[in-house]
Amino acid sequence: MTTLETYQRGLLDLVKSRGVPSTDPYLSRVASSPGIVVVREIAVWWRAFQIAAQCPLVSRALKHDGLFEATIEQYFSGHRTSPFVEELTEDFLGFLAQQADPFLRSVARFERALLSARAGSEAVQEIHFDRNPDLAFEALGRAGTIPPPQPGIRYLMIVDRNLPGMFRCTREVIADPEAQS
Amino acid sequence: MVGADNLASHRATPALATTYEGGDIALLERILPLVDLIEVSPDAIARMDGKRARLRPEVLEEYACVTSSVRFIAHGIGLSLGSFDHWDEGYLALLDELFARVHLDWHSEHLATTMVDGESVGTMFPVPRTEEALDLICERVRLIQERYPVPFLLEHVIHLLPDAPSEFTPAAFLNAITSRTGCGLILDAYNLQCDAINQGLDVGGFLDELDLSPVREMHLAGGVVHRGFQLDIHSRLTNDTTFELANEVLRRAPNLRAVTFELLKEAVPLLGHDAIAAELSRIRKAIS
Repeated sequence: MTTLETYQRGLLDLVKSRGVPSTDPYLSRVASSPGIVVVREIAVWWRAFQIAAQCPLVSRALKHDGLFEATIEQYFSGHRTSPFVEELTEDFLGFLAQQADPFLRSVARFERALLSARAGSEAVQEIHFDRNPDLAFEALGRAGTIPPPQPGIRYLMIVDRNLPGMFRCTREVIADPEAQS
Repeated sequence: MVGADNLASHRATPALATTYEGGDIALLERILPLVDLIEVSPDAIARMDGKRARLRPEVLEEYACVTSSVRFIAHGIGLSLGSFDHWDEGYLALLDELFARVHLDWHSEHLATTMVDGESVGTMFPVPRTEEALDLICERVRLIQERYPVPFLLEHVIHLLPDAPSEFTPAAFLNAITSRTGCGLILDAYNLQCDAINQGLDVGGFLDELDLSPVREMHLAGGVVHRGFQLDIHSRLTNDTTFELANEVLRRAPNLRAVTFELLKEAVPLLGHDAIAAELSRIRKAIS
């Protein structure tokens, strides 16, 4: 008889796509069952639903590139996810803020700062964009094409809960394009 | 309409309950005249406040405004009663807060695991029907019964995975828990249908074997099929076959106090207030 601990740790590993336990016959059976695919999909679907509702900007940016579902699944499998949406989105945006894509990274940092300000944080945060964020957000809102980066130009977004609308953006000409993002 | 008009009525009429998680005053005003009880999920009305979860005061305020016209029951999601290591103390803190703010007729939790080794599993695992799990569950039920002064009920969850090796039938496991602890049960008619479709559960045999006297509450809901699995996502109205099964439970459960129509908050815009109100009226008529 599989112990409770073995059963639960094994199922968690399967749901998180951490590999198939080879020694336990029951868990091996679960690993090849159609049900485990559905359980995993439901778990990812819930995270996706919460993130899409709470983080519309990064969700649109990921959907624009056809990466939304895959990114949520990658995040779910690789991280301890919180059942509380505030913690979940904070952690997810932190995860995206480390990604290679500079635009996605900036959007994630901006959305994280904005959620933090809305939640009452008095911290003033600065986020750089390599393209016009107004135009980019407008394009995301209508599922249009995101404008390309503007070499030599940097947009500075300041998020501060004491500002009207909680943020403002300024355009800067930079001498060293390497410092753009 | 099969079933809905036929629900048995030879016994004390159960109360009618439904889910309400706050933030939709128009829906609350619509359902208040139709129900006797509001089902509250503490986890669903909580938000993180620093490092701990707290109930959202604006939702508690909504509840406080309607206490003269409706009663409340709590139905937890995240206690993780079946975890091998420990349950979620954070959930108990939410429940403590809810008990301090809202009078609850009873409270309940799923017979399931949502945390393993402190990590959220992102869904619910059923508890395997073993002596080891039985001992663990019964001890935790005893602790809950000591902690809170109202009846505690357990709800069976659906099985999407192959049945784990077990020492009890599904009904015998529930019978063992209720006889050892004296706790009550929620019988979810839709969950039983999901298990019948997904796992071949013999619902008639299950009901024949189950001691129905601890059944205090019954859940009704509707869901969707995905990859051939019937899912317990409460996003649809109750279908007629669920009503037929509910009718049988109503006839046979002697201590049933409430029938709860469960609906995800996220499904409210999909169905609309009119359809939800009509569904509650339909269930009321059926159980009266």
